[in-house]
Amino acid sequence: MTCYLYDGTFEGVLTVLALVREAGEEPNSIGTTAPAQAGLFAAIVRVETNEEVAERLLDEIGRRLSPATAAHLYHAFLSETEGVEMHLHRYLRLGWREGRRLDSLLSHESVLPVHQLARRVRHEAHRMKGFVRFRKVREGFYYAALEPDHRVLSLMAPHFADRFFDQHWVIHDVRRNLAIVHAARREGWEEVSLELTGAPVMSEREEWFQSLWRRYFDRLAIAARHNPRLQQSKVPLKYRRHLVEF
Amino acid sequence: MELEKRLVILAESAKYDVSCASSGSKRYNRDGIGNAASCGICHSWTSDGRCVSLLKVLLTNACIYDCAYCVNRRSNDVPRASLTPEEVAELTIGFYRRNYIEGLFLSTGVVHGPDQTMELLIRAARLLRETHRFNGYIHLKLVPGADPLLVEQAGRFADRVSVNIELPTRESLKLLAPDKSREAIIGPMRTASGLITRSREERKVSRKAPLFAPAGQSTQLIVGATPESDLQIIRLAEGFYNRLGMKRVYYSAFIPVAGGNRLPALPVPPLVREHRLYQADWLLRYYGFAAHEVLDDGRPDLDLAVDPKCGWALRHLDLFPVEVNRADYEVLLRVPGIGVRSAKRIVRARRQQRLSFDDLAKLGVVLKRARYFLTARGKRLDDLDMNEAVLRSRLMAPATTKKARQLSLFDGAGGDELASVLTGEL
Ligand code: SF4
Repeated sequence: MTCYLYDGTFEGVLTVLALVREAGEEPNSIGTTAPAQAGLFAAIVRVETNEEVAERLLDEIGRRLSPATAAHLYHAFLSETEGVEMHLHRYLRLGWREGRRLDSLLSHESVLPVHQLARRVRHEAHRMKGFVRFRKVREGFYYAALEPDHRVLSLMAPHFADRFFDQHWVIHDVRRNLAIVHAARREGWEEVSLELTGAPVMSEREEWFQSLWRRYFDRLAIAARHNPRLQQSKVPLKYRRHLVEF
Repeated sequence: MELEKRLVILAESAKYDVSCASSGSKRYNRDGIGNAASCGICHSWTSDGRCVSLLKVLLTNACIYDCAYCVNRRSNDVPRASLTPEEVAELTIGFYRRNYIEGLFLSTGVVHGPDQTMELLIRAARLLRETHRFNGYIHLKLVPGADPLLVEQAGRFADRVSVNIELPTRESLKLLAPDKSREAIIGPMRTASGLITRSREERKVSRKAPLFAPAGQSTQLIVGATPESDLQIIRLAEGFYNRLGMKRVYYSAFIPVAGGNRLPALPVPPLVREHRLYQADWLLRYYGFAAHEVLDDGRPDLDLAVDPKCGWALRHLDLFPVEVNRADYEVLLRVPGIGVRSAKRIVRARRQQRLSFDDLAKLGVVLKRARYFLTARGKRLDDLDMNEAVLRSRLMAPATTKKARQLSLFDGAGGDELASVLTGEL
């Protein structure tokens, strides 16, 4: 009966999965904190993240299973759902047995949860690409705040780094105090922790553009087609706080 | 007039063009701003549930023509406004940098004549591409009757071009849009279609060959303002897809925005009919149906009570039920309630195991309608007679009252990637 603890990073959970595979023994739990009902006799193993081990495992998954399997693992992990680590473990355990055909076992109880979580994360990441609203702040960069359900920033970053290549920008997950940052005309982006101490000060023309957009948006609906329920399913209330037009 | 006021007027006038697609283009960012994502991204949804992905605006809503169904027609008494191409470009960039939009959908009323009007549209697009180095999405309207050389220029800057066919027949066009002949509309369509094909061919040989409307062309027509049958409409759409390589045909339920005695007085816009047309269109484009399978002279109009795929299945009950573990992909696609995604998942999953109804549910296949047309491992889910009347009553959504129907119109539609367009997926 072993409960594995790790630091909450993807490399961390991969390190645990590599360890578990070597030990060849079913873990009791994998998480960032010890489960409350771990019991007297549970062995608690605190696993030190080892990037090399993590990378080697991911590499092997890509080669022996498939690159898609590696992606599913990562995306499901980003869901931050309670208990996701054990799902990843069972998925991978089955993977070593089934090899390349793992991801076609669509309705298998060890595959389905991982696929579902991964899909949910990808869906939110895609949706969020539309829901980012940059505000130009006085310092000259563009700032956007988000509160996604899942940890999707890293999945959104490449899209924005390409599209707004010539622009300084920051996309801030205010719930997780995480941000992705891109410097104009430099390749790539960085994930950093970020906590704002005060509200950012807007640049001069920012308010003008926002009010133009709001006025424009208000005019778009056709009264004869009024359908707020559909609107709500597309733009859930939880996302609206950071949208300029709501 | 202040820019804000003009923008409001011009957005108001542009909103009846329903196409919102921003997908299907691939434009990369080369040291400027923007790219065109091939999957399309929606940025917001209006309170009528339509996706907002483009800044949809007119250069001017002053028009020398007098199309009866249009708010901008000469004889209508509305405030007029215009934007300069420079203003359009600045607005587009300002909105784009803030990630409000995927790009621009620029249309206009006709000023002076078709060519002058086309030139203004081109100028706005050229400014965006050349001065602002904008690589985002641009949809340009082609003006009926515009010179082929201008059509060619427009397509060099735009990702998509469109001319609205407006009405299904020559006669209706003459009645309601007397200034626009069928030829004036079809002309630019043909030119664009030829140039799109040529550019595709050239780019196969050399990646450096110039782009021409890489996201293709689309068109739109108004449903319910004139007496044409659904069969006429669907045949027309089929022709556009097959002969002109059109990307999309949009249908717009006639909304009496205009009044005037050339038009029918409809109490409510025919939204259900419009939705059924989208579904029928979907059958043509993705499900391998031909127009004559969906409708024929004996049955020229779509059934408003059940979707067209159900309608087809009900007329071909002898072909059902089909065994989910054996039926070809093309056959699965014809099962009511099974969409492209479900059919693909089934085909993939059944390579590994024989599927039961439970497995189907786990795969996320919605069985609400499909259950009546499938067997799984030789078994059916209900002990039901394959009898048209019985099935029909089961297939009709319980909510057939007008109100409920309106609300749930789009419930079955969509899918993550497809949600960005008005869909008719079945
Ligand atoms: S040409 Fe006809 S449809 Fe187009 S803006 Fe003028 S009146 Fe409206």
